[in-house]
Amino acid sequence: MNAGSIVETALREGRSKLLEHEAMRLMELYGIKVADYGFAESGREAREVADKIGYPVVVKVVSPDISHKTDVGGVVLGLKSGEEVERACEAITKNVRERQPGARLTGFLVQKMMPPGVEVIIGATRDQVFGPVIMFGLGGIFVEVLKDVTFRVAPVSYQDAIEMLGEIKASRILEGYRSQPPVDKEAIAGMIVSLSKLMEDNPYIISVDLNPVIAYSRGAVVVDARVIVSRASVVNR
Amino acid sequence: MIVVLSVLEFFFNPSSVAVVGATPKEGKVGRVILENFKNKFKGEIYPVNPHYQEILGLKAYASVQEIPGRVDLVVIATPARTVPGVLEDSGVKGVKGAIIISGGFRETGTQEGAMLEDEVKRIAAKHGIRVIGPNCIGVLDNWSGVDTFFLPEDKMRRPPRGYVSVISQSGAFASALLDWMAHHGYGLSKAISFGNKIDVDEVELLNYLAEDPTTNVIFLYLEGVREGRGRDFIDTARKVSRVKPVVVYKAGKTKRGGIAAASHTAALAGDYTLYITVFKQSRLLEAVSFDEIMDLVKVLSTQPLMKGRRVYIVTDAGGVGVMLTDAIELNGLEVPETPADLKERLRSVLPPHCIVENPIDLTGDTDDQRFITVLNELLPRNDVDAVVVVALPQIPGLRGELFEYLVKAKVYGKPLLVVLIGGELALKYKKFLEENGIPVFESPERLARALSALYTYSRIRMQGGVS
Repeated sequence: MNAGSIVETALREGRSKLLEHEAMRLMELYGIKVADYGFAESGREAREVADKIGYPVVVKVVSPDISHKTDVGGVVLGLKSGEEVERACEAITKNVRERQPGARLTGFLVQKMMPPGVEVIIGATRDQVFGPVIMFGLGGIFVEVLKDVTFRVAPVSYQDAIEMLGEIKASRILEGYRSQPPVDKEAIAGMIVSLSKLMEDNPYIISVDLNPVIAYSRGAVVVDARVIVSRASVVNR
Repeated sequence: MIVVLSVLEFFFNPSSVAVVGATPKEGKVGRVILENFKNKFKGEIYPVNPHYQEILGLKAYASVQEIPGRVDLVVIATPARTVPGVLEDSGVKGVKGAIIISGGFRETGTQEGAMLEDEVKRIAAKHGIRVIGPNCIGVLDNWSGVDTFFLPEDKMRRPPRGYVSVISQSGAFASALLDWMAHHGYGLSKAISFGNKIDVDEVELLNYLAEDPTTNVIFLYLEGVREGRGRDFIDTARKVSRVKPVVVYKAGKTKRGGIAAASHTAALAGDYTLYITVFKQSRLLEAVSFDEIMDLVKVLSTQPLMKGRRVYIVTDAGGVGVMLTDAIELNGLEVPETPADLKERLRSVLPPHCIVENPIDLTGDTDDQRFITVLNELLPRNDVDAVVVVALPQIPGLRGELFEYLVKAKVYGKPLLVVLIGGELALKYKKFLEENGIPVFESPERLARALSALYTYSRIRMQGGVS
């Protein structure tokens, strides 16, 4: 599937949010590195996927009706065996039935559990006046509480992206904080540029949150991607 | 590069203008506008009003079509429902531009108003007439005498001729600003207010003013850019900023309610946050308060580019020197230590109680000559990028020669600003200096902020970008 048909499918099915594995596939199509993943419709299938990916893994609920997966107990981390994966799928199903009874359960996203690193957020939104706008910030409290983020109107060049990394107040954290090595800025900047391109190419995508992206001294990986689509907002270019 | 000679020329330099809705009745918009043209405009003026043979001594016409000669520009100040007819008439006559002062269109929020506006758009497009307005105060050009500002001179004084141009979405703000500029003696080239902007907008006007030989600095009062026009705005502003500085003030800084926040990113990209990004990407210089608008404009319109960030302060008041040092450093510029060779030089020409370390303190017993001696040392040096003179005029030794010297010192081609704090005497010197192109401030903080904007702009010009 190409990017356009992923978006088309969602719109045709009346969904405003891409499913987890669709969002991941879309990122891959733009060369944005994501944690190894697979989609499974059942606990048993999830176990097979996990066996292929290698442990530890994370299991996340896939549902067109759930927008905050953790709020409904739809995410289980640090699963070390096939049994644990199957049990996690059962637990997620139970949690979702209890906390959001009407929600459709499409299946499960099984992802490689990534080691800790520096969490950043890369996002995009489509403004009625200026078109696609790309955002960068550090994850967690930096974005949630301090709103320490920076923006660019697309198209964002590689040079712009590198500048963005230096613009946030906490940019020193990217340089290596205490004994941490500096993060791979080129990898993050590359993702920003790719996201800018994705937004320019796909007018029906109205917003994207890659949150978190985990950055390492070599490379950076998207762990969660939230993509919102709408036909109503075909704004400029 | 802008190659096309602007198509908007006829709004500013028409050879003939028709004022539709002209009237001899005192206190009416149509009368003020006609008077404005009669007093200042050198081209042909045709009042249009079917009820009169003659208005203010000019032959009046029943319609635009009846006018015998060519008509470049029509100014329309008749009720909204009559505007489509007037425009149609003007189209047949071959008019190039229309400034529609009349209100009663989309801004009323009524369906009738919106329909009338669409009708006006359609007729203008059909005849290829360019439109400023409707619901606006239009154009004031201090060089050509075009003046559709319907506020009489005794209520709103016109600024003297100058090289600053103003684009304002709000007519009321433009009028108030111009009155204020007139009061303070700040010169104006052109002012344009476009109200409902059904056609000509800030993007085209920025392009026009970039090419205008009597505009050195542009001030843009912006409420919002039209939907879908954002990229053009950024591209144009970037291009114009390479030629002349554009100071922007954004009204409506609080968060927009209309757009549902679909994600983290959308929630964080509030309206004003986005405009700050846009201004930075466009290389526009943002004034964040009313005070800053004129502070930035007066420094940018009078001062040469600043080659580096090193600022030297020469003061007769130690305290103000320190305040200024703080303010300058907090704004990202530098108040460097006086280099050894200069220190030595200054020690040899100054009395021993003077402080040769930057800020250079000549103390309260200084006279004009002591200032002049130091400035003569500083201004020619390559390691001095700008000089600020703090000359509190209360001290006995200052008699005025310093201020005359400062005007002559412009030949050094370096930014030269002055802090004057005080009463009548300070105001007298301030007036003299500002009339001669030396910006004067009372507040060290405001001076520092304006100087830092000059440095930002200088970098834009010298490097082709801000890094």
